[in-house]
Amino acid sequence: MMHTVLFIIFAVVCVAAAINLLAQRHPINSALSLIVVMGSLALLYLLLGAEFVAAVQIIIYAGAIMVLFVFTIMLLNAGEEELSKSSRVAIVFGVPAVAVIVAALAYILSRGAGTAALGDFIGGPKEIGRLLFRDFLLPFEVTSVLILIAIMGAVVLARREER
Amino acid sequence: MTTNLHLWLIPLLPLAGAALNGLLGRGLSKRAVAIIGVGFPGAAFAWALVVASRFVALPFERIPYTEYILPWIAAGSFQANIAFYLDQLSLVMLLVVTGVGLLIHVYSVGYMEHEGGYYRFFAYLNLFMFFMLMLILADNYLLMFVGWEGVGLASYLLIGFFFLKQSAANAGKKAFIVNRVGDFGFLLGMFLLIRHFDSLNFADVFKAVSHYPVETAGAGLLTAISLLLMVGATGKSAQLPLYVWLPDAMEGPTPVSALIHAATMVTAGIYMIARSNPLFSRSPIALTVVAVIGCLTAIFAATIGMTQTDIKRVLAYSTISQLGYMFMACGVAAYSAGIFHLMTHAFFKALLFLCAGSVIHALSGEQDMRRMGGLRKQIPWTFWTMTAGTFAIAGFPPLAGFFSKDEILWKAWSTTALRSVAGPALNYTLWTLALLTAGLTSFYMFRLWFLTFFGEFRGGSADAHGHGDAHASHSPHESPGIMLGPLVLLAILSVFGGWAGVPHALGGSNRFDQFLAPVIQSSSEAMSAGQRAGEPQPEAAEEHAERNAELALTAASVGVAAIGFGFAWLFYFKRRDLPARVTAVLGGIYDTVRDKYYVDELYHALFVRPIVGISNFFWRDIDVGVIDATVNGAAHASQDVSDSLRRMQSGNIRSYAGWIATGAALVIVYMIWLGAR
Amino acid sequence: MNPITNTDYVTILPELVLAAFGLIVMLVEPFVTKGGSRKPLGYLACLGALASLAATWYQAGSPYTQGFFKMVLVDHFSVFFHVVIALVLFVALLGSLDYVERQHIRAGEFYALMLFGAVGMDLMSSATELVLIFIALEISSISTYILAGMRRRVAISAEASLKYFLLGSFATGFFLYGVSLMFGATGTTSILAIGPQLHAGGFNPLVFAAVALMFVGLGFKIASAPFHVWTPDVYEGAPAPVVAFMSTAPKAAAFAVLLRVLFAAWTPGWFWPVWISAALSMTLGNIGALRQTNIKRMLAYSSIAHAGYLLVAFAASKAADTAGISAAIFYTAAYAAMNVGAFLVISHLAGEGERFVAIDDYAGLSRRQPAVAASLALLLLSLIGIPATGGFFAKFYVFSAALQANLVGLTILGLINSGIAAYYYLRVIVVMYMREHPAEHEHGHGAERITIPEGVALTLSVLATLYLGIMPNRVLQLAIEAAKDLLR
Repeated sequence: MMHTVLFIIFAVVCVAAAINLLAQRHPINSALSLIVVMGSLALLYLLLGAEFVAAVQIIIYAGAIMVLFVFTIMLLNAGEEELSKSSRVAIVFGVPAVAVIVAALAYILSRGAGTAALGDFIGGPKEIGRLLFRDFLLPFEVTSVLILIAIMGAVVLARREER
Repeated sequence: MTTNLHLWLIPLLPLAGAALNGLLGRGLSKRAVAIIGVGFPGAAFAWALVVASRFVALPFERIPYTEYILPWIAAGSFQANIAFYLDQLSLVMLLVVTGVGLLIHVYSVGYMEHEGGYYRFFAYLNLFMFFMLMLILADNYLLMFVGWEGVGLASYLLIGFFFLKQSAANAGKKAFIVNRVGDFGFLLGMFLLIRHFDSLNFADVFKAVSHYPVETAGAGLLTAISLLLMVGATGKSAQLPLYVWLPDAMEGPTPVSALIHAATMVTAGIYMIARSNPLFSRSPIALTVVAVIGCLTAIFAATIGMTQTDIKRVLAYSTISQLGYMFMACGVAAYSAGIFHLMTHAFFKALLFLCAGSVIHALSGEQDMRRMGGLRKQIPWTFWTMTAGTFAIAGFPPLAGFFSKDEILWKAWSTTALRSVAGPALNYTLWTLALLTAGLTSFYMFRLWFLTFFGEFRGGSADAHGHGDAHASHSPHESPGIMLGPLVLLAILSVFGGWAGVPHALGGSNRFDQFLAPVIQSSSEAMSAGQRAGEPQPEAAEEHAERNAELALTAASVGVAAIGFGFAWLFYFKRRDLPARVTAVLGGIYDTVRDKYYVDELYHALFVRPIVGISNFFWRDIDVGVIDATVNGAAHASQDVSDSLRRMQSGNIRSYAGWIATGAALVIVYMIWLGAR
Repeated sequence: MNPITNTDYVTILPELVLAAFGLIVMLVEPFVTKGGSRKPLGYLACLGALASLAATWYQAGSPYTQGFFKMVLVDHFSVFFHVVIALVLFVALLGSLDYVERQHIRAGEFYALMLFGAVGMDLMSSATELVLIFIALEISSISTYILAGMRRRVAISAEASLKYFLLGSFATGFFLYGVSLMFGATGTTSILAIGPQLHAGGFNPLVFAAVALMFVGLGFKIASAPFHVWTPDVYEGAPAPVVAFMSTAPKAAAFAVLLRVLFAAWTPGWFWPVWISAALSMTLGNIGALRQTNIKRMLAYSSIAHAGYLLVAFAASKAADTAGISAAIFYTAAYAAMNVGAFLVISHLAGEGERFVAIDDYAGLSRRQPAVAASLALLLLSLIGIPATGGFFAKFYVFSAALQANLVGLTILGLINSGIAAYYYLRVIVVMYMREHPAEHEHGHGAERITIPEGVALTLSVLATLYLGIMPNRVLQLAIEAAKDLLR
């Protein structure tokens, strides 16, 4: 019971922060909202019994990545965003469609939850480690290619082209 | 001893010619190009003759003769090979195509002399022969379809031969697109065959079909397949409602019109139906549809033919009309009569086209009959050969057209193959319309004849362009010997070619019909005895009555031909003021017919405009409307990503995301509904 | 004891080879003389593509082996797609050698990204674990996002890259959410474990939502309607050889994933979404292409239409029947062969800064460059579906299978569509052969002769198209084998 109440509270905080992230016009406000999102997500993981993931979430996202974001914003001295042209299609079709998707998924999730019970997957470091370095070794290793590509992309697209 | 006919040589020889000319022709002299271009089809014809002589000697059980070349495709139990199939029907087609084809190749050597791209022309022409021969010799529908599409492609190349002429390019495109409609039917028919018989081999399919009863009660599987195949045939053989491409195809060089759009390719549909006769004969409904379409096309095109002034267009509509005859013949289950007419038509229509080419050649490119006249003296060879062709197509005995047309008329009158669909009234209607068409044919052909060769020359010396400017515009001149030779040979065939099928009623034995009987018979066994499509076998007394009836009908058809001649003589020779007065009286009706019943316009409004409209909507309002906003906004060639991204309007990203979300919502809601049920 | 054996490494051998060559290209780049030709890097990358082909060949010797704790499965299915991807990669790389120089694109990153992208695509076709599929999908997608933006001097290229990235991430989100719901419903993310569970019946209705979400994500990757909207803009902006690559190889890989998810995992309920998506893709693609004046946009719409034809084969697939699946697999190969060639011709003719990409720029091409014009004409005829080309048999199998499966409406719609399609492909041929270019005699317009690598690439593509059209049987048999393995 307690779990459920906490879960709902943090879920609401998470969604509210995410909406705020989009609504804010100044990048630094958005970044701060993102930290709230990451933090509440970490708490949700914790409530689900995934302590390790929760810790990693705090350390990497809320810690390392967000610090980087905030520094970048400060260094670039980014100002307020201009609002770009809106789209009729997005308002007439897109927004209702997203609402419908959310409603439909909520409906099906409320009707029949998954077969797995809470506690089936104990997310301790040992279990995670075993999964990651044994069964999921290949995906884990392959992720390095993904990261390499992402770095290359950043380098290629951000570098000023010499004339 | 097993005779090997080496059928593969026949299509391969023209292909080799095409490859030689296509790849090396640019560097060769015109003479060498001509020798290659004519030599290879000539060798194919020679081999076809050898094949014919050996075929006749084959023992009965080896017919149809099949020659397996290569395995082609296999998927599950379905299999199609590259293999050739020779029976009486394909042999006739083989000889007609290689023979007439060779003559037209020879003619082209003279006709195309002054044109650019000589080697390319012969390469395409040989390529066409290759595909046409594949079509004829194929042992399954799939291989036939390869030839079918291939001839379409070659025809497309050859219509557009006068490159840089917009009308020719458009005509080629139109032919291609209209034929896609026909292919649609052909392909669906093939899919149905695969689905139900798991095979496309003629032998397998026809054997499987022979266990099916005639679908007298209503439309069934065979009716569906037959009708779909028929759609394919209407496209290729220019029947209603898909005939519209053929008149425009006359933009191509005249030998091409003669070879492809008169003698060979357009008859592929007739051949396909005759080949599929076991299917069609089991579906009276399909037969009726074929007969009605053929009959309507015949008279429809003939009326348009009366009003045209372009010599090639008259012949084009005449071709459509004659193809209608052949269609009708197939529709009344008189396949051999259809093929007989196909053969004689190949002779005289190729002749007429080549003569028209010779006239055009003589007049340095003039095609309008109103600017011709009195050419009898200047180009006597052309005149006399064309006279033979004209009398042959008009159906004067004892020329080729008389026998074949008469046979069709008689079968239309007497067939009982359609009885389960309609009563004898249908027979009489078909016959009457066909007879009327015969009269009209005679009229417009003699109109052409009188306008071209009699009276005063109306051309003047005004220069006319179109067919090469190389011919200086001087007085009309006879064509060179290399063009006249084929004319003479074709004229001889047009005069005597019909004697292969003199009917019983006229004291002959109809050898042509008997020769083809094995191909047709296997299917007409489906009809109950006495109802045989091929040859009615009545009692002696009835036979006498039938013979009288047939003779009476023959007299009628000769009569209308004579009447047609008479009117043409009156209008275009004796009283030349009459046409204008009649036109004035008819007024709007005449205009409608002259403008081809506005069918092109109708199709444009019905099919082209809506598609273009929808496409425009998508293009202008969605595609360009969105794109221009962004591309132009960012068009100032900003060198840096940050710049360009800042300038970019993200409006359409949102729109795109909106569309994707909408689609996703539909899929998700549907699936969840499915899951929650 | 080392639980990872040599057999395991063999199951990812082509991917290892490609990744190794990608690294080598990046390491060698600094040593290539500054200002000199960057082509050696390209040749190195080509070598990598061929080496991965050889590695696949080696794998084909022992089909149906699993590796890495059942993460990957080498079977006829994966081998088929590996070969297609390796060949497309090879041809696209050959075609980019001169393009990269001409457009001043950073060669090292370009070639490395192509190779790394191919690693992802290869893994997509051999992975049997949704988590691995997701990572592979991301590798393939992110590398194409970056490649699309590599014409750094042109704004529309950057725009294409950004659009592709944003919308692609949006779609990937759907896929990932689908994977997580699938895990929630079945307790596993292994396709081979999901299959039997779903087959046994009585499963959680959540599975339907999972399939829907994954279908949306993959639908975006294969550019099927209504998830196709990004295609024309991205293809127009991206470098032409990249389009040659990304319109074929990642698409083939995405189709492989879709095949695995729908058929190997035995998922339910996809029939009508696939049916409608097929119908919409064919129709919208062809209608959209009709009026285009830019050949890249035209072929972009055409690729949407082809995705539609391919989905027809999906809709025609039934349990325990390989006809539809093998038709789809065959279509992927045929489509790759012809489309890669068509875009290479565009890339060859585009000129510096891709200035010549209007259909009108192709006027008189038959006289300026007869061989190139003839090749493009043949490839376009194949795209129409004329016999003796791969495109014909591909369509023939697809629609034949569709009619076998009683999809009369879809078959008729497809055939009507391929009739409409003839019009716009033909227009290009007409322009090439029957119209004169106003600037025909001006010097320097598209007069550059085709270079040897471009020529080889184009020849390969043409030969493959003809091979599939004249002797389709061998490849068809392989496709049937692949389909059988998929359903095993």
